[in-house]
Formats: sequence, C-alpha cells, structure tokens
Amino acid sequence: MSISVWTFLARQTITAAAPMVLAGLGELIGELAGVIDIGIEGLMLSGALAAFLTAFASGHGLAGLLGGILAGAAMAGIFGLCSTIFGADQIVVGTAINILALGATGTIWMLFQTWSQSHQLSIHLTAAESFRRLPLPGLAAIPFLGPSVFDQYTLVYVTAAMAIGVAYLLKHTRLGLAIRAMGDAPETCTAAGLSVKTWRLTVTIFAGGCAGAAGAYLSIMQTHSFAQNMTDGIGFVVLALVIFGRWTVRGLIAGCLLFGAINSLQQTLQAARYTSHSAVLHAMRHLPFELFQMLPYIAALLALAIFAKSRPGPKSLAK
Amino acid sequence: MAAGVVLLMLGLLGFAPDHVLWLWYRGSFGSRYALADTFTKACPLLLTGLAAAVTFRAGVFNIGAQGQLLMGAAMAVAMSTRWLSPHTAPWVGIPLCLLVGAMAGAMWGLLASMLEVFRRVPIVLSTILLNFAALYLVKILLHSFLQAHGTSAPQSSQVPGNFCLPILMKYTSLHAGIFLAVAIAAILEIVQTMTVFGFQYTATGLNHAAAKLAGIPTMSRQIQAMLIGAACAGLAGAMQILGVAHFMTAKMGNYGYAGIAVALLGRLDPIGVAIAAIFFGALDAGAQRAEESQLGLPHETANVIKGVVILVMLVAGAWSMRRTLRSGLWMAKDDEASNV
Repeated sequence: MSISVWTFLARQTITAAAPMVLAGLGELIGELAGVIDIGIEGLMLSGALAAFLTAFASGHGLAGLLGGILAGAAMAGIFGLCSTIFGADQIVVGTAINILALGATGTIWMLFQTWSQSHQLSIHLTAAESFRRLPLPGLAAIPFLGPSVFDQYTLVYVTAAMAIGVAYLLKHTRLGLAIRAMGDAPETCTAAGLSVKTWRLTVTIFAGGCAGAAGAYLSIMQTHSFAQNMTDGIGFVVLALVIFGRWTVRGLIAGCLLFGAINSLQQTLQAARYTSHSAVLHAMRHLPFELFQMLPYIAALLALAIFAKSRPGPKSLAK
Repeated sequence: MAAGVVLLMLGLLGFAPDHVLWLWYRGSFGSRYALADTFTKACPLLLTGLAAAVTFRAGVFNIGAQGQLLMGAAMAVAMSTRWLSPHTAPWVGIPLCLLVGAMAGAMWGLLASMLEVFRRVPIVLSTILLNFAALYLVKILLHSFLQAHGTSAPQSSQVPGNFCLPILMKYTSLHAGIFLAVAIAAILEIVQTMTVFGFQYTATGLNHAAAKLAGIPTMSRQIQAMLIGAACAGLAGAMQILGVAHFMTAKMGNYGYAGIAVALLGRLDPIGVAIAAIFFGALDAGAQRAEESQLGLPHETANVIKGVVILVMLVAGAWSMRRTLRSGLWMAKDDEASNV
C-alpha cells in the first residue's frame, strides 16, 4: 500500500517522537522531584545496547526490552547513589555517567563485533528478536490516521497510555503532589515525614527505566541493531524539551512532536529536493544537507530562547 | 579502587590484567616516544580541561567545550589556508591563527552566555545544543568554503608549512603549543589564587546569592569566566590543527567532552587539571597501544576507566565535603535558601 507524503510525514513524526516522550516522562517526573539527570543520554545509550544484547542472546524482543529497562534503571541507580545519597553535584555526576556509558557501550560493542565476525553472525536482529510495527485491527483502516497513528510499534501505544497516566498521577493524586513538593520544598517534605532521599532515588530509578526503554526503542525497534553512540544527542534534546514544555506532560508531548516533525521533515526534504518538480524544492538542491541536519538543534535552541523565560521550574532543581 | 574495578572487568572479559597493564605502561611512559605521545594527547585535554574548570568554578556549567573547540579549529583553518598568504612569516601567522581560534571559541561560548542573560536559557542545555550546531556548521564549511580543492571528501586543505607549530621531538607530534598551554594553566592558577578577580568568580560559583549580596558583579564575572574558558577550548582546537593534524575533518576527537572529566578530576584547580590531563593523556596513549597490540583491546576502555575514576572521585569528594559541612558550615546553604 502506498501512502501519501503527508501520511508518511505524520507517521515518521510519531515514530521519532515516541522514544523522546518516553524518556522525557521519566526525566519530567525526576525534575519535578528536584533531580535533573544530564546522564539521560548515557542511560538511553546503555538501554539501547543492553536491549540489543539481551534480545540477541535470548531470541526474544520482549526480553530485550526488559534488558534495556533494567540497564537504564541500573545506571540511574548509580547516578542516584552518587548524587542523592552521597550528595555529589547532579550535573557533574550526570556528565560522568555520560562518559562512562559512552566508554562502556563502545567497548562492549566493539568486543561483540569482533566476536560476531569470528562466528560469522549477523549483527541485525531477526523478526522474533525485535519488534515490528503493529497495526491496530480496525483502527489502522481509517484513512490518514490509520497508517500514521495506528500503525506504530507497540511501545508507542504504551507510551501514549503512560503519558496519560503520568499526567493524571501528577495532577490528581497524593503521590503526584508528594513528587512535586519534593522539587519545590524538600524541607517541607522532610517535616511532613517523607524521606526525600528515598523518594528521589525511587523516582530517579523509574526515570532510568523509562530512558532505558527509550534506548531499547531505538535499537530493537527502529533499527534492529546497535551502533556506536547511536543516541547521538537525543537524550540532550529530551532535556531541552522537558524545559521547553514547562514541566508539563502536555508541553513535553507538544515539544517532542514538534521536534519529531522538524526531524522527519528535514529527512524528507533532503530526499525530495532531488526528485520533486516543485520550484522551491528544486532551489534547495544546492543547500548542503548538513544544514538540514542542524535544523532540529537550532529549533530546540530557538524554542528554549522563546519559552524558557515564561514559567519558573521546580524551585529546588539540582539542589 | 577505580583501577581495581576496571581490572576486574578486564579479567571478566578475558584479558589478562597484568599484560594489559604492562602494555598500558609501555604505551604511555615506557619510552621517550611514549612519553611524547602522552604529552601530545594531554595538551588539548589540558586546555579543554581548563575550559570546563574555569567556568564550573564560576558556577557556569559550560558543557560546550567541544563546539567551542570545533569553531576554534575551523577559524584557524580558515585563516591559515584561505585568508592569509601561505608565505606569511611564521611569527606573524601562527600567533594570529591561534588568537583567531581562541576568539572564535570565545564567541561561541558568549552566544550561550547571552542566551542565559537575555532569555534565561540554562547554559547546560544551550552549550550542549550549540555543540551539535557547531558540528554541523563545521561540516558545512568543510563541504564548501574550507574544502580542499579537487576532493569531494569533507576535509580542508593542508595547512601551509609556515603555519605549523614547531615539533619538539623528531618522529613524534609533540609540538611547541604545549608550552603555551602550560603557561595558560600557570596564569590561571595565579589569577585564581592571588587576584581579586579570581576570588570574585570563585565566590560566585560557591555561593551565588552571598557573592551578589557582598557586592560582587556576579553576572559579569560569570560571562568573563565563560569567555576565558571558551577561548581556551577554541585555542585547543586551533592548536590541534596547527600542531598535530595539519588539516581538518569534522572528526576532531571528543576532547571537549573529555575536558569536563579532566576538570572534575583536577578538582577545578589549574594545577590539578594539568595533572589530570597528563593522566588522561597517558590513558589514551596506553589504550592506543593496547588496541594496536595482539590483544585488540578496544580503545574505548580508556573512557570506561575515566568514567569510573570520576564517579569514585565525586563520591569521595562529596563524602569529605559532607564531613566539613557537618562541622557547622552548612549555615551558608541555609542563607542561600532564604534568599531565593
């Protein structure tokens, strides 16, 4: 079935936005509780590799996803231990986690490649080991919406459900109130008998699980393989988008969709300017393609420049 | 402890730890050439380490050394291969290129500072995003203005001989730039410990609210720290071009990111940063040796060691800090909270 350019764009946008929303939900809850985890990039990277290796070894995609979540949570545990429990600076620990993850995944991946070459094994996952798109029965037949929204990876649907759940949790439950209080007035929480350290550590590990799952999405769903430093800054963009969304689930989703749209648009434009007959696209032929690759980051910067001032974030962030 | 963790890991992965250590030593300190290699690799790390240390000390989380380094390198290439005649005398051309590189880095850092001052964009984020912007900008330049004639690869022309930094030792890349790097570290150490300016920006980083209350122009101190730090990173880029690579591709190594680790390990103190840079340089030189050997140990292992070392350092540092804080100093933090 061939689909129109717009449907394709919408579909790519959602596919690109989903892992960012997933990782962003964890980061959002963490930041509301007063923990900013710069190491999210490293968590995603660890999750991506762990998911690939688990899926490869076990032969099951679901086991891979679990492996990714556990790896992300474990790395976040190290982060939480150093920052929340031992009281080291969050930004600094996060940076260390990023370096550690880059080194560890790089080392393991290169060793794995050498090993798989000597055993003549493919570094691409089979259908059983990875996830494929899952068209929802019935809904996928709707024109435009069907192929764009309801023909996605399973984790996209889970992410959507989670977003609704997290939004409800933060706004309407005692737990959500406690999390937000943790970020705005940790002293009050201590006075009210809540252990700030325990709660922040729990939230951090949950966020790590989210980031790990997002990493798994990149490796075992989108590409069916792994590549050195495959997250390529997505984690950092997620950090920017959480702030862009003013620490709300709605804002975060809007930001991720916007970013995903710009990203898929730039990819499409890059390809289309050579095939299309449109005069505008034709004129773009002479632009360097790196200009298009730069676009999402510039957009994120601009978005921050425009919106960062409007509403203050959690008062005790990174303290 | 960190070394123990890493050696244990190596053992688990099936590499004989003692053999790896031996190779590592041979590749980093084992001979004159190994030593020269260590110092060559330490030179950019010292500068990017200072870039992070100076800014972190002033409470500015400049993660953007990588982007600043790239911009510095690109401008140094533009000067030496495009704007200046290849026959420019070395004593004019080299300082000019290094200066322009440092200034390009400083401007890229200033961009982040301005976004913070005027639009309250957190520096942590803007500098990270600017790293990516710089990377693609440099790639565009290497595909157009800076591209070597007669090639389709994204790389610049060769830097003319007159612009190359003098090599200190035959058959190595150890270049005269290392003297400048060490001199800068020494100057920054003096500034930090002996001048009012140094005291003011350190105070700003330690307790922003208290520093402001004491009449220190915190905002301009932070911007100045950013300018100094980013200039160091830009200089590192220019030096890598004129001293080591002699032409430019977008792959400049991740000295910018490694610099953060160097700064942390050196406890944000210029002398400490210099020691840490040599340590990291030795790690890289040794890792290269271990990779080239029959063992084929990936050089990324060096990054694992770096990460573990920093985490252990941080925890140890935070632990000792907490002891100090318990003895009454924590009042300062309380003051800050009530001022916000």
